[in-house]
Amino acid sequence: MATRSEPVAAARVRAVRLETGRGRPALLFGGALGLLLVALVLGVGLGSVAVAPADTLAILARRLLGAPIAQTWPASTETIVLDLRLPRVLAAMTVGLGLAVAGATFQGLLRNPLADPYVLGTASGAALGAAIAVLIPIRVLVLEFGLLHGLAFAGALLSIAVVYRLSRTATLAPLTSLLLTGYAVGSLLAAGLAMAMYLSGANLRQIFAFLLGGFEGASWIRVAVALPIILGGSLAIGLRARALNGLLLGEETAAHLGVDVRRERAILIALASLVTAAAVAIAGLIGFVGLVVPHVVRLAVGPNARLVLPLSALLGASLMVGADIVARLLGEVPVGVVTAVIGAPFFLFVLRSARSGYEL
Amino acid sequence: MRPDDQEPLLPTGARGRSILRGTRGAVLGLVAAIAFAACSAGAPASASIPPDATGSLAPITTATPSVSPSATPTPAPSAAYPLTVTDDEGGTVALAAEPRRIVSLTPATTEIAFALGAGDRVVATTDFDDYPPAATTLPHVASYTGVDVEKIVGLNADLVIAGGNGFNPPEAVARLRSLGIPVLVVYARDVAGVLADIELVGRVIGKAAEARAMTDRMRAGIDAIAAATSALDHPRTFYELDATKEIYGPADDSFVAEMVRLAGGDPITTGSPTVFSIPLEKLVAADPQVIVLGDAAYGTTAKDVAARPGWGRMTAVRTGAIRPVNDLVITRPGPRLVEGLRDLALAIHPDASIPPVQ
Repeated sequence: MATRSEPVAAARVRAVRLETGRGRPALLFGGALGLLLVALVLGVGLGSVAVAPADTLAILARRLLGAPIAQTWPASTETIVLDLRLPRVLAAMTVGLGLAVAGATFQGLLRNPLADPYVLGTASGAALGAAIAVLIPIRVLVLEFGLLHGLAFAGALLSIAVVYRLSRTATLAPLTSLLLTGYAVGSLLAAGLAMAMYLSGANLRQIFAFLLGGFEGASWIRVAVALPIILGGSLAIGLRARALNGLLLGEETAAHLGVDVRRERAILIALASLVTAAAVAIAGLIGFVGLVVPHVVRLAVGPNARLVLPLSALLGASLMVGADIVARLLGEVPVGVVTAVIGAPFFLFVLRSARSGYEL
Repeated sequence: MRPDDQEPLLPTGARGRSILRGTRGAVLGLVAAIAFAACSAGAPASASIPPDATGSLAPITTATPSVSPSATPTPAPSAAYPLTVTDDEGGTVALAAEPRRIVSLTPATTEIAFALGAGDRVVATTDFDDYPPAATTLPHVASYTGVDVEKIVGLNADLVIAGGNGFNPPEAVARLRSLGIPVLVVYARDVAGVLADIELVGRVIGKAAEARAMTDRMRAGIDAIAAATSALDHPRTFYELDATKEIYGPADDSFVAEMVRLAGGDPITTGSPTVFSIPLEKLVAADPQVIVLGDAAYGTTAKDVAARPGWGRMTAVRTGAIRPVNDLVITRPGPRLVEGLRDLALAIHPDASIPPVQ
């Protein structure tokens, strides 16, 4: 009896230790929310056209809260604030949130600090889908979504499905197999992408724009479609934080904690991939946020998924809005370039200044 | 990020080139090169010319049926508003009144608007605009990285003229239209398409008669140059778009190939209507008698060409028939096209007498 309960007890101890967070979560949550608010205000307030802060606030109060304020600004200002900036900020928040949560999930799930939302081939799948859409000379538009968005979404999900299936037949350990299969399938899809790019002729710029990502095309309808998927998927992941913690401690420990390893892993991969696919469909391939944000959060609060997931969501949303503001102010530089240029040195700085022993 | 106005303002493709030079990444290189090829309107297209738009240009066409949706050159003598037209990519453009605040998103359409006398109604242009000088001081709302929709809305634009075939992101065009701003998308597949686009832009901005007069003049100029060169020997001519990494030249039946033909040359093309790169072997085998340096503006000289390994055997290199040209005037689908054609004819036939542009 004792021989069987011993590992279970040990697993419980490890789980409790993992879930006993460091730092002050309440303070961090407050700070992250404050940061998000700042990002929202700056995102709506800044742009290539100067709009007085008072006008911005008045427009928002009048149109969103119904405040009785007389219109003293030109109609174009209202269009800029309500139809261009606000949906764009919301799209950036949604995508940043989704990528950060998906990144945290994949890192925990694969127990690999280099994992990001794209690690299992979703990026190559989405890119190939988008490239094929560009090559097909058909213009369809459903709910302001074109073929490019549809095929990018489908490509991301299809590639992860293929990777998952292929990895299960291998004789390797599941995690190794997943990672290697993801890499192999991703490489194959990348080759297809290179071919599609070669064939795309003058349309290459469209593919290029997708590869670097951006929020220029954000509109209310697009936000309305993507937000429920990303937010719903992220919430569902958050509700499985316990399983994710278990998986982080290793399969055996997770099993001792009563986690159905195979099932939970499949569900988490599916959810994170869904979130990633939706994010990629509306914003293209934006790197670094999904990789860096969860690490930064872990440096502050430790590896407990219950804290890492929500804090990553908030920080990812804020950082993405920040990156988009920089992109806009620099004259529509692709957001992916901004996240890489700012993200990489920032991450190095955080890693070097980390005091205590960092663990995934 | 916005390039300053002092630096020679380059067309989209030229910006692509700078990326090409700045990176080792194969993908970026590919992007840059193809964007470069695309910018000069030399994208894949059949050499068909809508008969009603060209008439006098007919001898150069291969007789295929008209495919250009822009071929509706029957403007009313004075443009009447409200006006509805179909643009080069099938978009419907409806205008309630003559546009007063025009945004031009391509250097060619900027030139067209100014040449037709509507320059005072143009309120914004692009980073690539370099002509006429008055256009370069206007606010810039488009760059290699995209279109600043917010700024266009802020300028209260009532007409945006954009470049098709991906010159301006289709995404931005759709966004502008969804905000209720009319967007006219123009894309000329060939010389006849340029003339049709000038007439289309003319109709939309209320300068239909002026546009018609301009295209009549241009047609006459093109005919005169083609007539002057048609009796001459047509040397095998390679129009070099870029050779910093791979060698880029005109695709089969592309706009540049047509220009070379009109200018009295036998264009050496890539052998495909969609590929703009040509292997050195193929170029050596084609043995150009004249090499025209479309990339002269970016610093390529005849000396550079002669020094390239493998190029020395070409007739053009041995005889010194390597001639720089101003690529912007030759490949830009705008009102200066006839000047460009004349420059090109003189580059191919330096000793011929080519009639001056009227």
